[in-house]
Amino acid sequence: MFHWLEKNPFAFAVVVIVTIAFAGLVEIVPHFAQQARPVIGTTPYSTLELAGRHVYIKNSCNACHSQLVRPFKSETDRYGDYSLSGEYAYDRPFLWGSKRTGPDLMRVGNYRTTDWHENHMKDPASVVPGSIMPAYGWMFVNEADIDTSYAEQLTVAKFFGVPYNKPVPMKDGSTKIIKMGATVEEARAMALAEAKLITADMKNQDVKDAVENGKIPEIVAIIAYMNSLK
Amino acid sequence: MEDRPLEYDYSVTRLFMMNTIFVGIVGMLVGVILAWQMAYPELNTFLGEGLAEYTNFSRLRVLHTDSVIYGFVLSAVWASWYYIGQRVLKVSMAESRTLMILGKLHFWIYFAASAIIVVSLLMGITTSKEYAEFEWPLDLGITIIWLLWGAGIAGLIAIRREKTLYISIWYFIATFLAVAMLHLFNNLEIPTYFGSGGIGAWYHSVSMYAGTNDALVQWWFGHNAVAFVLTTPIIAMIYYFLPKESGQAIYSYKLSLLAFWGLMFVYLWAGGHHLLYSTVPDWVQTMGSVFSVILILPSWGSAINMLLTMKGEWQQVAASPLIKFMIMGSTFYMFSTLEGPIQAIKSVNAIAHFTDWIIGHVHDGALGWVGFMVVAAIYHMAPRLFNREIYSKSLMAAQFWIQTLGIVLYFTSMWIAGITQGMMWRAHDEFGNLAYSFIDTVEVLHPYFTIRAVGGTLYLIGFIMFAYNIYKTTSAREVEASELQNASPMGA
Amino acid sequence: MNKLYIWAVVFAALMIVLTYLSVGTTEGGLNDDVVNQLAVAGAVALVVISVFVVVKYVRQMQVDTADGDLAEESWDGIGEYLNEVPKGWAILYILTMIWGMWYFTMGYPVNAYSQIGEYNEDVAAHDAKFAAEYKGITGNRLVEMGESVFLAECKVCHGISADGIDGKAANLNQRIEAVAVKHAIMNGANNFTTDFPGGMPPGLNYMFASEAELDELVNYVVAGMPADDTRGAELFAQGTCNGCHGDTGEGMPYAGPKINGYDIATVSSVLKDGKKGAIGTMPKFERLNAKQIEAVSAYITSLSK
Ligand code: HEC
Ligand code: HEC
Ligand code: HEC
Ligand code: HEM
Ligand code: HEM
Ligand SMILES: [Ca+2]
Ligand SMILES: [Ca+2]
Ligand SMILES: [Cu+2]
Repeated sequence: MFHWLEKNPFAFAVVVIVTIAFAGLVEIVPHFAQQARPVIGTTPYSTLELAGRHVYIKNSCNACHSQLVRPFKSETDRYGDYSLSGEYAYDRPFLWGSKRTGPDLMRVGNYRTTDWHENHMKDPASVVPGSIMPAYGWMFVNEADIDTSYAEQLTVAKFFGVPYNKPVPMKDGSTKIIKMGATVEEARAMALAEAKLITADMKNQDVKDAVENGKIPEIVAIIAYMNSLK
Repeated sequence: MEDRPLEYDYSVTRLFMMNTIFVGIVGMLVGVILAWQMAYPELNTFLGEGLAEYTNFSRLRVLHTDSVIYGFVLSAVWASWYYIGQRVLKVSMAESRTLMILGKLHFWIYFAASAIIVVSLLMGITTSKEYAEFEWPLDLGITIIWLLWGAGIAGLIAIRREKTLYISIWYFIATFLAVAMLHLFNNLEIPTYFGSGGIGAWYHSVSMYAGTNDALVQWWFGHNAVAFVLTTPIIAMIYYFLPKESGQAIYSYKLSLLAFWGLMFVYLWAGGHHLLYSTVPDWVQTMGSVFSVILILPSWGSAINMLLTMKGEWQQVAASPLIKFMIMGSTFYMFSTLEGPIQAIKSVNAIAHFTDWIIGHVHDGALGWVGFMVVAAIYHMAPRLFNREIYSKSLMAAQFWIQTLGIVLYFTSMWIAGITQGMMWRAHDEFGNLAYSFIDTVEVLHPYFTIRAVGGTLYLIGFIMFAYNIYKTTSAREVEASELQNASPMGA
Repeated sequence: MNKLYIWAVVFAALMIVLTYLSVGTTEGGLNDDVVNQLAVAGAVALVVISVFVVVKYVRQMQVDTADGDLAEESWDGIGEYLNEVPKGWAILYILTMIWGMWYFTMGYPVNAYSQIGEYNEDVAAHDAKFAAEYKGITGNRLVEMGESVFLAECKVCHGISADGIDGKAANLNQRIEAVAVKHAIMNGANNFTTDFPGGMPPGLNYMFASEAELDELVNYVVAGMPADDTRGAELFAQGTCNGCHGDTGEGMPYAGPKINGYDIATVSSVLKDGKKGAIGTMPKFERLNAKQIEAVSAYITSLSK
């Protein structure tokens, strides 16, 4: 019976394709429209936050940290409310991770602060004795790539209708507008203004000086991103 | 012409084989470094503070996964394809200039892409999607490499003399088609440089899917990348090398058939087990769990078929380290395809997910099944590629036991570490508060991380012994081709 | 007995014992959490089934012999037997496939499982269990409970001994440090907006004649405002501090917090709104429940007593 297929490679290949494509069509495709809707209160990332997200990806923080609070009492006690699908509507790519060598960071903005991150990223074991997280000293020197972050904002606004410069509904009934620069120069200036708010709470003089001189070290961007995770 | 023995052309096999060994050492060395870094974080700066950016755990981890999977394993798969393909289709690559050119291009473009990938990953150019970290220019390169292989398969099949496709060929075809499909859909992305009219890094892209959708597509990919890179082509290999080396006939054709089609159908449904308790719909998760359990049967079908092929042949298993590698490989295949489904049960996954128990599962598959089969394949092919005897049988036996011990230390320590940590995360104390802060659950793992690092180091040592053995083989005593019918010749 | 059996049993037993030892020595352990029990049951099933099956096939290699009809084809010398599939395998193969199809079409839709529903039930059960218990927790037990909260939630910033890890966060073994007092006096403070909506005005340092006088006051506050320090009390009134914090620094509702020591209300204010000050920023802790806040406040209060 099946011997026929084994003698006809083309037919064999077609049957294999049909067999393996079936599950994907049934399991994945039907959910597409629904999953992409944001929940109220979810806003797109600002230019600086998005640059921080790129720093996060660049250093594969997702290799050790998840961003997915599962609906268990122990997790909501530790990290806060369980995750909702719509909270990820602006996450491209998603960063749920698959390993928790370190804790979940989905809502870390709620319970860690700028100055704590500054100490922690410089030398994790100095604040958390026994920590096995690497130190990220070079982030205090390397500059964040604001231009690429802005390019991504433009792209997602254009192709996926991500609502920059548009009112986004918030939980308390108000609306909020996440601004995106009209030109790359404006985007840089906006990111710098945001960076100054972060460095106001930081202690490292070199970083503060860099921002005063119009440069944004990666550490500032990643802290902006961490603080945005709520 | 039919009765003249065929002169198979192994030049492409040889290239891929050398690459397998080379990348295997590099990739596993990086794995060993990672393992020691988790036990002793000071090692994140093992080349000094200045180079910490490139030597710390987070940059090296992707390098490890991608180099072992796409460097070490894929090279071995291709070395085997260019060997097995010719022999079971009864046709030599040398018969077609086009096929030879395709094969050489396949290797060299792949080699060049690998070098670029290593550098770009060290620089931190990644999209973060596990096992699909590459940015769009590399995606395109990978597509070309894949199509070159596909053209090679199609070409060889087109000019075959053996009309019926052997089981190994089924699995190679499935590997080719499935990975092509997965790669295509998981990498739909928009280059931001073009999307924004020329701003920022030219290689950067943004995924077509967001959030939960992105997760669904990624783990549909991720799970099946495991299936079609770390499983089906390895089955293709064992279906050839085990009967060939032992001289035994395959135990049951029917079993091969049912196992193959069962695997094709069921595997694709199970990706949901990477997303249990996440925000993907409950029913997709449930299907992921249910089909994972079903998956035991088609997986075990192949393994049982292999073990039964050796029915009554214990003296061969006892005498030949090469056959030991394959029998132990099948055993670890059974173990990991039972462990996976157990971890896919929702309540078990509540503990296992995010912990080292998963890492243990990964490596009893990767080291015990995939690694051992690759080693066995090369031990079988090397004498036939070089017309030489394996340099040392006792070295081979020593390698087998050292590596087996390494795997056992690896998966037992990670198993205990994972279950312990998973339970500590969940624990509440007498007051109903969390019993442990996160760092408490990290500190208890130190001894297990150390044991794992020792196990990994042993495995690497075994692999270096293997490389040495093969290296010496290339300069050993030349043997007659006729000595090479079944069992590989082996020196002292 | 066959060496094989011994090895198999030793291996299985070792895995189970080691796992038990490791898990059993942690607080919480297996207790009555079904999820924990299922995970361990899964792990045990995994070793036992694996060992059993491996032994079975190795036995067949050792004592059985290969036979059956060979198929006509042979590929590069590899033959194929026309053997039937092993019966146990075939039955399970068919049963599981049917089970899967049933689950897909009937099992799941009819069962209507929801993980959020399950979560809500778990939380309700947890809360019900501890609600009764919480009423009885007072005094030393409350401090003990507070320590458990502190070690899980606060020690990453304040350190295990609550000393603030070299000035990275507040040292909670004392009410307040000199820098923080000075900072409040010069810059004002308006963090605890829930309990003290008015805040504290900036620039109160101008109420003092000299830097030395200001330092004198600061030292008085840092020392916990001892009753016998009349000069300190004088300065405290001179700065109009007593208008909001009371003559002895006991604090006044809505006007100013207690500053001569901690109490539950003061620490609760911090946890409600967080605090940004001279040392850094302290986050607010909305996910702690009322009892946990009370307990950790009691614990912190106990540290400086
Ligand atoms: C080797 C694994 C590893 C890597 C890589 C890693 N971390 Fe961590 N991280 C940890 C561990 C372990 C902890 C818990 C101990 C601690 O707090 O230091 C942690 C803690 C944290 C915390 C504190 C969260 C909390 O709730 O206390 C933050 C924030 C954090 N990491 C951010 C990052 C960022 C950003 C990166 C990447 C640039 C990163 N981590 C990379 C292992 C890692
Ligand atoms: C108008 C009312 C008012 C006056 C006058 C006032 N305070 Fe306060 N003070 C407050 C309030 C309200 C707070 C709580 C600050 C907050 O919400 O962050 C506070 C906070 C403080 C704190 C910080 C406590 C903490 O937890 O960090 C100190 C120390 C302090 N006051 C000392 C003084 C001293 C010394 C003076 C006089 C020089 C003074 N205050 C005058 C209202 C006042
Ligand atoms: C992310 C770090 C962080 C965490 C987590 C944290 N704190 Fe703090 N806390 C701080 C810092 C920084 C200060 C000092 C603020 C200042 O005065 O500049 C502080 C100050 C305080 C103060 C003194 C406020 C005052 O009035 O002077 C109390 C009390 C306190 N924390 C209690 C807690 C408790 C209880 C917890 C846990 C439930 C906790 N903290 C967790 C960082 C933290
Ligand atoms: C019946 C077959 C199998 C099933 C049902 C299965 C199931 C699973 C499950 C449930 C996970 C964990 C998901 C999570 O919680 O994070 C997992 C992870 C993994 N498995 Fe398997 N497994 C099987 C076979 C294999 C084999 C043979 C390999 C070969 C090496 C393998 C490699 C992996 C890898 C690499 C991961 C890690 C994925 C990640 O990065 O998170 N699996 N598998
Ligand atoms: C000497 C041998 C090896 C050692 C010491 C080793 C070590 C490691 C370490 C330490 C990690 C990171 C685990 C973590 O983040 O907690 C890892 C991840 C991984 N390794 Fe290996 N490894 C080795 C060989 C291999 C081989 C041969 C393969 C594949 C064929 C492989 C595949 C993987 C995969 C897929 C992951 C990611 C798992 C996940 O994300 O779930 N490893 N390895
Ligand atoms: Ca992973
Ligand atoms: Ca890609
Ligand atoms: Cu999977």
